Amino acid sequence: MSKLPRCIHKSHKSTPSSDQAYAIRVHDLHKSFRLPTERAAGLKQAIFNWLKGVKGYTEQQVLRGVSFDIRPGEFVGIVGRNGSGKSTLLKCLAQIYYPEQGSITVNGTLVPFIELGVGFNPELTGRENVYLNGALLGFSHKEMDAMYDEIVHFAELEPFMDAKLKNYSSGMQVRLAFSIAIRARGDILILDEVLAVGDAAFQEKCNDYFASLHGEQTVILVTHSMENVRRFCDRAILIENGKVAVEGKPDVVATAYNNLWKKED
Amino acid sequence: MGIPHIFCHKNRILLGELIKTDFKLRYQGSVLGYLWAILRPLLMFAILYIVFAKILRFGDGIPHYPVYLLTGTVLWNFFTECTGQGIQSIVMRGELLRKISFPKYIVVLAATATALINLAINLCVILIFALINGVSPSWSWLLVPFSVVELYAFSLGISFLLGAINVKYRDITSIWDVLIQALFYAIPIIYPLSMVIESGSYGMLAAQVIMLNPIAQVIQDVRHNLITSQAVTTWEVVPGWYGLIPILLVILVLVLATLFFRKRSKRFAEEV
Repeated sequence: MSKLPRCIHKSHKSTPSSDQAYAIRVHDLHKSFRLPTERAAGLKQAIFNWLKGVKGYTEQQVLRGVSFDIRPGEFVGIVGRNGSGKSTLLKCLAQIYYPEQGSITVNGTLVPFIELGVGFNPELTGRENVYLNGALLGFSHKEMDAMYDEIVHFAELEPFMDAKLKNYSSGMQVRLAFSIAIRARGDILILDEVLAVGDAAFQEKCNDYFASLHGEQTVILVTHSMENVRRFCDRAILIENGKVAVEGKPDVVATAYNNLWKKED
Repeated sequence: MGIPHIFCHKNRILLGELIKTDFKLRYQGSVLGYLWAILRPLLMFAILYIVFAKILRFGDGIPHYPVYLLTGTVLWNFFTECTGQGIQSIVMRGELLRKISFPKYIVVLAATATALINLAINLCVILIFALINGVSPSWSWLLVPFSVVELYAFSLGISFLLGAINVKYRDITSIWDVLIQALFYAIPIIYPLSMVIESGSYGMLAAQVIMLNPIAQVIQDVRHNLITSQAVTTWEVVPGWYGLIPILLVILVLVLATLFFRKRSKRFAEEV
C-alpha cells in the first residue's frame, strides 16, 4: 500500500496562521462501497460464499478522485443529481466514512448536519433533546448552556421545552432541530438538504439567517434547489459520477446542473 | 488519536449524556420504575431459592446459602445483562452511527454502564442480606471490587468482539442467547462446586475445567471473600500458576477484542 488514506483534522489553535488560506482542502478523494450481492447478511450465507469462493459483495466506486479547496468564510453549494456522490462526500468530510485514498484537511472545528435532529428521542423533553444533540455534536454542557436560550428563541418554542418531544408537532420538531443546527457554534457548518423546514414565516427567517451568514461563516450546503444556490452561495461545485464536473460561480454551476438532463434528451 | 484521546473531555460528556438517556428511558412508563432493577434479580433469586435450596436441597452444608445463592445470581445477571446490551449496542445505535462521527466504543460503554449501575445497587442489597443473615464483616470484603472489575473487563471484551461481528452477522445475538443458557449450567451458580468434585473419578478434573472459566472464578472469589471461606476458589482447585489462567484469559479477550473492534469500527457506518 503506497497510498494510505489520510484524514487530518486540525484545530484552530494549533495551526499557524499561514495555513489559514483554506478551511477545507480535499485532495484526490476516493471512496467505494461493498454492496452485498445476495443475502449476505447472515452467517450461513457468508459460509456458503466462502466455500464457493464467491465474494459476497460487489465494489461500487462512488467517489473517484474529488479535489477542491474551500476558503474560510466561503458559502459553497454542492449540487448534483441523485446518486452522484454528494452525500458520500459530505459523510467523508464529517468523518463518518473513511476514504480509501486521498486526504481531507480541515482547519477549525467542523459541525456536520447530515440530518437534522440526530439522536432525538421522542420520550425525552425538548430541553433534554437539545443537550443530547449538542453532546453528539461535540459540545460540552457549558457551551450548550451558552447556546440554549438562542436555540429556543430561534425555534420559538419557549413554552414547550419541558414537554416530551413526542407531543410536539412534526413542524415543531424540525424547527427545534434546525435551530440547533444553525445556532451551533463551529468554524465550518455542513448542511445537507435542510433548508425547507417549517412554515413560510419560519422559512423566511431561516433565509434571512443564511443571508446574514454571508462572509462570516464557512458553510457547505448540499442542495437540489438552484434558487438557493444562486441566492446564498459564493461558489458552487457540481458533482457528477463521483468527480467534480463543474466548479465556479453559482450561476454557471446552476446552469450546468439544469443542463444535465437536457443532454440526455 | 491514541489512548489519552479516548477519555478526552468531549467523549466523556457524550458518554455521560448517553448513559443518562438510557437510564431515563429504561424504566419509563413502568409503575415501579427503577425499583425493578432490584426487584428482578430478587424475584429470580426467590425462584432459584425455592427450587434449589428448599426442594432439591442443594445448599445443605453451605453456611449462609441464601446469600451465597443471591451473590451468584446477581453476578451472573450482571454478566448476561452487560453482554446482552453490549452486543446489541452498535446495531441499536446504527441510526446514530450513520449520521454523526464519534468514537464507536462510547456506544458500547454506554450500553454496559446501566448494567454496572444495577450491579452496584444489587451489591448493596447483598451486603444488607449478608449482615441480616449473620455474616460478619471482614477485611476480605475489600477484595470484592477487584473481582467486579475483572468481570466487567471480561463482559466488555465479549461485547466489543461480538458487538462488532453482530453488525454484519446478526446471527450472533441468537447464538449468544443459546450459549449463555449452556454457560449458566457450566458455572457453579446454583450447585456447589463440592458436588462436582465428589461426583466420581473425573469429578476433580471437571471442577478444574469449570473453575478456569473467568466468570466461575469471579463468582467463587466474591463468595469466598464476602460470605464464607467454604466457597471453593480457583486457587484451591487448580494447581499452582495455572490459577492465573482465568485472569490471563480476561486480559487476552479484552485486548484482542479492542483491537478487532477498532479495526472494524471504521466501517460500522457503512455496514450497520
